[in-house]
Amino acid sequence: MNIHMTKTNPLSRRTLLKGTGAALALPWLEAMIPSRTSASESGAAGGGPQESPKRMAVLFMPNGVREDQWTPEGEGSDFRLSSTLSPLESFRDRLLIPTNLWNQASNVGDGHYVKTSGFLTCQTISKSLGFDLNSNGISMDQVAARGISGRTPLPSLELAISPVSIGVDTNVGYTRVYGSHIAWSRPTRPLAREINPRLVFERLFRVNQPDKGNRDGEKLLLDRVLGDARQLRRKVGAADRVRIDDYLESVRSLEKRIEQASTPEGRTWQPAVDMDPATKPDGIPREHAEHVRLMLDMIALAFQTDSTRICTFMFGNAVSNTNFSFLDGVSGGHHSLSHHERKEENLVQYQRIAQWHVEQYAYLIGRLLEMKEGESTVLDNSMILFGSGLRDGNSHSPRNLPLVIAGSAGGRLRTGQHLVNPTNTPLANLYVAMLKAFGTPVDAFADSTECLPGALVS
Amino acid sequence: MNPVIQTNCLRVSFAILMLLMLAVTGTPDVHAGGAVPAAEKHGLEFLRFYCVDCHDPPRPKGGLDLSIYDSVDRLVADALDWEGHLQRVRDGEMPPDDEDVPLPSVDERRDFEKWIVGTLREAACSDGISPGPPMVRRLNRSEYSASVRHLLDIHFDAGEALPADGAGGEGFDNAAETLFISPIHAEKYLEAARSAVEYAMADTRSNRHFLVAKPGGDLSEDDAARRVLKHFLPRAFRRPVTADELGEYTGLYDRLKSSGASWSEGMELTLAAVLVSPHFLFIVENEPSGTDPEPLDDYELATRLAYFLWGAPPDDTLMDLAGQGRLHEAEVLEQQVLRMLGDDHSRKVRQFSQNFVEQWLGTRALGREFRPDPSVGRYDSELEGGMKYEPVFFFHEVLTGNRPLTDLIDSDYTYMNRRLARHYRVEGEFREQPKRVEIADSSRRGGLLGMAAVLAVSSHAHRTSPVLRGKWILETLLGEPPPPPPPNVPELDESGDGDQPKTLRQRLEHHRENPGCATCHDRIDPLGFSLENYDVLGRWRDEADGLPVDTRGTLPDGTEFNGPDELKQLLLNRSESIIRHLTRKMMGYALARGLTYEDLCAVDRIVEDLKADGYRSHRMLLGIVKSVPFRYKLRTPLADQTQEGHETATGNTEQ
Repeated sequence: MNIHMTKTNPLSRRTLLKGTGAALALPWLEAMIPSRTSASESGAAGGGPQESPKRMAVLFMPNGVREDQWTPEGEGSDFRLSSTLSPLESFRDRLLIPTNLWNQASNVGDGHYVKTSGFLTCQTISKSLGFDLNSNGISMDQVAARGISGRTPLPSLELAISPVSIGVDTNVGYTRVYGSHIAWSRPTRPLAREINPRLVFERLFRVNQPDKGNRDGEKLLLDRVLGDARQLRRKVGAADRVRIDDYLESVRSLEKRIEQASTPEGRTWQPAVDMDPATKPDGIPREHAEHVRLMLDMIALAFQTDSTRICTFMFGNAVSNTNFSFLDGVSGGHHSLSHHERKEENLVQYQRIAQWHVEQYAYLIGRLLEMKEGESTVLDNSMILFGSGLRDGNSHSPRNLPLVIAGSAGGRLRTGQHLVNPTNTPLANLYVAMLKAFGTPVDAFADSTECLPGALVS
Repeated sequence: MNPVIQTNCLRVSFAILMLLMLAVTGTPDVHAGGAVPAAEKHGLEFLRFYCVDCHDPPRPKGGLDLSIYDSVDRLVADALDWEGHLQRVRDGEMPPDDEDVPLPSVDERRDFEKWIVGTLREAACSDGISPGPPMVRRLNRSEYSASVRHLLDIHFDAGEALPADGAGGEGFDNAAETLFISPIHAEKYLEAARSAVEYAMADTRSNRHFLVAKPGGDLSEDDAARRVLKHFLPRAFRRPVTADELGEYTGLYDRLKSSGASWSEGMELTLAAVLVSPHFLFIVENEPSGTDPEPLDDYELATRLAYFLWGAPPDDTLMDLAGQGRLHEAEVLEQQVLRMLGDDHSRKVRQFSQNFVEQWLGTRALGREFRPDPSVGRYDSELEGGMKYEPVFFFHEVLTGNRPLTDLIDSDYTYMNRRLARHYRVEGEFREQPKRVEIADSSRRGGLLGMAAVLAVSSHAHRTSPVLRGKWILETLLGEPPPPPPPNVPELDESGDGDQPKTLRQRLEHHRENPGCATCHDRIDPLGFSLENYDVLGRWRDEADGLPVDTRGTLPDGTEFNGPDELKQLLLNRSESIIRHLTRKMMGYALARGLTYEDLCAVDRIVEDLKADGYRSHRMLLGIVKSVPFRYKLRTPLADQTQEGHETATGNTEQ
């Protein structure tokens, strides 16, 4: 049932989203309409030309990689990409490939959940089927998001392909909630992800249409809701107050966004494009590959329109057994194949699947590179991290993790290199470097020992 | 790790030590001024032998001091912590393999677990069953949709755009502990509410249901608004509202009016506000005033009951009975449960059946986590629908028809649509909607284990797996999940090639020659092998990979069986365990949270009743509804309150 096809109501905020049934899902980029110039000075505090915003995205791949076909040959700027990384060849000057990083905190527990939930927190999750669930950390992306709170309509964007995995895993004693989240805004709060590209588009569209809808009416509505939430907060026991507080916070930030949207100074950066409603995706495609592409398009769109500067995306949940038989020579599920038993016939397929993921990553990089931003591009103002929480799917080890970053965050990250670190260098050291490049004033993160040497342009 | 190495040489064998101890004492051992029964000593000895070397002062590993557990009383006092410790022992994480010390065997681990669970459960049951804290949780996505549907009488899924909910506790997505609120939620709720109300206001059939007054004639716009809200608010909040609360919403309408909105514009936004209010979105039970367990008030009971059996809000009958203060009366309660299961409400009961069954059995994975390889056969959406709904319709009949719960193990009826009937090679007239079928040849279908959905989600995408199916039976039906494979055991080779033995059975038998594997796989694999007559999609076969299917199996206790029929017989002999596990799952679903030992006592009592009544399903549902955990609440302990208080420091102070 399409609820957007109802009558036009004077109060409807959906005027522009209606009647786009014939819209092509792709390619949307060509349909973008240039509007303002990126050199727009409006809203820049203190005058002078604005500096382009920095963005950060993390693309998480479940189940690890074929380890003998990941690491590049050679060191520093003189390196040769492995077969798995070969789709990135044309971007090699924009890559930073760190080797020998590990996530010590995830070297316990089970093979997958700890490695997924702890991927961006570098902390060990509590063993739990739900009660007192705790990641014991805040994810790196959310630390970055906090630092720029209020500068974009959406503080961050969490995307995925599969809904939260069903049930709890009684074999290892974890709720599958853990395996379905990498972004944690608080140790006890994983962030819900959007899996439907149409809904992401509508959301982005909404936050980019400040003049539409009945802002005053919605503000009054939310005031009432806030009143109820405060009242309820007094009624419940302290243990449950946390959830009501979460709701209060959620409503408040929505209210703030509506307020900011009606004032042009609300935005600190005037993006070079407007969104074209005709490019709205139809929904979730049945084909996995198409679904992934559409979600990556949404990341590019979100960054280009400066709707948010932080995004995390999960190609699959922990233990994902997505069927990759649509690839030549592959038969069976991702997780099953990751238990390759060192047999070449399995390893070949396992490698092919990882390489496919890198191809998708390359697609996103290519898109961002096409997006001009003044003299630069959206890619060059971004850091796009791709990686997995474990190296080899057969042994589940979180040592020497497969990781690669594209984009230099406006020239702050030293790209064009294969950065070989001492064995067992904390992954958190890389995150410190990324946060610094992003402009977050931190010197340490989780179990970091220093900012990763050689990662930043000194 | 000096202390560990020192004690190492003393550790001959825990099992031998125990044997010696029991042989020497034979009778209760004298222990620090009191008699400690040998059995009690056993569990405590395990701790002392395997755990305390690292987990003792002054610097216990992981900050966990286990040396304090020198008596059952100490153990019982920290019952909640033991859930976590136990899991680590059970799944082999603890004691860790990286120290040069002997490790407990799988059997020792299992005995230890049994001992701890038995001890804690016994302690919990001995001083009467006490209930859990008041329920405070948001509606999950499907409850939200059902609630909006109920209020506005609209026929679309208002919650479609909400993020999916994860599962906690007993594995259901209504568990309070995992119903998080993300920043995205408020925005989604506002959108969903505005769309739903906009749609319902425009639909004359639907708006008759909630626009109980319209301005015109003698009725002013303001009066009409008041009447609509007076009718709407208690239904939305599932309780009577105070004059103040009504005033707050009519006040909102007034403000919208004075900012230039028409009557219908103002109503639309005001009704949307009700649907974004946490009073609607959250189920909130009042904190009891005293420290003793208190019964739920009748509206709270109506709400628990309705979201349990319908996944939807209470209807007018339940609300009226609550209003009269009669719902809690045993006879009324029983009548209501039976009414709610009746034909008039079959759509809502089917929703309940679907929510429960798909998550319990894992069949929600069809088309999501589970997508078969094209090589195993044609899998289209009609087949997926037929497979998905077979257990749902079947369970619906078991529940509403007061069938014996043992029908789940074996039955002479099931449900098929046209495509599934063809899939099963069953003759007859079928349509797209599943219909009831009497099973002529009971050897192939009947019971959950004859259902394609179950057989598929316990297979790999490209071939069947006796290991996965055996594990499924142990975990899902019997509630005895096997531990994960120990880290240093070679990978199980089910796929086979080269110089390996040829059939899957031979390869698995080869694998079980390793004693490290055998302890668990001797229990797992035979169960799965007996189902090898079913292929990945649950079709019957006599041959696999060109060889006759071999479905024989022997369990560790020597029990021999062959094929699905004898497997069912074997499981029927264990009906009590299976139904206890089902009752536990159902209790977890009903309470919408993880269970405590106290709750398990209630489960035990219900199972006793069930057994005496031929395992009739109504007895289980009534037993749960009448149980202490379902009907009562206990104030949240103050200690927890202060502890949790720190976490609320997110800047949300009162203004």
